Amino acid sequence: MSTHATPPEGYDVSREHMLDFKVDEQLLQVVETDAKNFILTTVDEVFNWARLSSVWPVTFGLACCAIEMMATSATRYDIDRFGAGAFRATPRQADLMIVSGTVTAKMATRLKLIYDQMPEPKWVIAMGSCAIGGGPYFKYGYHVVKGVDFIVPVDVYVPGCPPRPEVLLDGLMRLQDKIRGRKGRFITPKWVTDYAKLIPYRK
Amino acid sequence: MEQNAIYELLAGALGDGALGYNEHALEPWADVAPAKVVEACRFLRDDPRLGFNQLMCLSALDWDGLDEAGKGKSTAILGYTDDGQPETSDRVGTGDLGVAYHLYSHALRHKFTLRLRVPRDVAAVPTVSGVWTTAAWHEREAWDLMGITFTGHADLRRMLLDDAWVGHPLRKDYVMPGTWNGVPLQGQPYCANPFPVETGGPDQPAGDKPAEG
Repeated sequence: MSTHATPPEGYDVSREHMLDFKVDEQLLQVVETDAKNFILTTVDEVFNWARLSSVWPVTFGLACCAIEMMATSATRYDIDRFGAGAFRATPRQADLMIVSGTVTAKMATRLKLIYDQMPEPKWVIAMGSCAIGGGPYFKYGYHVVKGVDFIVPVDVYVPGCPPRPEVLLDGLMRLQDKIRGRKGRFITPKWVTDYAKLIPYRK
Repeated sequence: MEQNAIYELLAGALGDGALGYNEHALEPWADVAPAKVVEACRFLRDDPRLGFNQLMCLSALDWDGLDEAGKGKSTAILGYTDDGQPETSDRVGTGDLGVAYHLYSHALRHKFTLRLRVPRDVAAVPTVSGVWTTAAWHEREAWDLMGITFTGHADLRRMLLDDAWVGHPLRKDYVMPGTWNGVPLQGQPYCANPFPVETGGPDQPAGDKPAEG
């Protein structure tokens, strides 16, 4: 919300009762004299806006979903339009982990290590059927973790086998919605904690 | 060269090491004795009429539930239930294990398949990594997933799974693990609704409403 330095022509402070806000005359004087614009906002909104505008993913591909993730970051779909195009080769500079593919038992230990190395705040997108719930490996996958939410907390689930780039972009936008709505200390909703109790690894 | 002619050459060189030949299969194979496999492979590679200079593939086989003649009922392998828990069974596998060698000659452009059977409790086969170097990795994979020991192999470690893994997963009597090294491998019921909807809403059948008037 910004206002001009000079009040519009015919503006009368005495007609203040017609406005839906109270005019601070002292502030109006400052605005007139310094001829500067100003913005009214909160610290939370500024921080959230900055965070959602440049979500840096970690360079981390596991299986065929990673091919779609690469296509999403290439010129045709261009994930950089949403500020998430800077894939970092180290987890210490990254905010987002896109778990793109099958999480095997061997990889799960490495995945947890990479997640722990990422600085707060950090987010996780589970991309594809395998990362969500084991996918086609649910029945006979002796080596597959049946969902990455057994290992790390997941913010957005992107279904598909593999998901098309549009769907991954939609998942990124849903994540941005989630970051935008965050206020102060984040309190997990009750239904999320209830659901987390069903998952044995998080107990 | 025709497949039958290749087997006749091989049988002539091996003597009683050649156990039989199936020419009616899509890819005809010859059965050899496990003790003679290195000799057979060396002959197939070095004979100028055969010249099999490449081992295309080395496969491990499992005759669980089948007898010597290949008769019997093949057993269903164990998996996870719909609830994501490992299926349990105290059944011990019966029947032989085996190895199939798929060979190709680049110069003469013909193929051949060797096959052998070993008993399940002492599944040991001489290594052919001295004949074709690529067999070293194939044999490591066969040891990793099927538990066939290759005697004389220089570096018989697990190939795909972790060194701390227990068991050989592609055997038909393998029981799926619940956890490994603290990593959960069991699943959640994938069709269960954690927030069940209460049945019986405002829409009641018309017969339950009181009659008007």
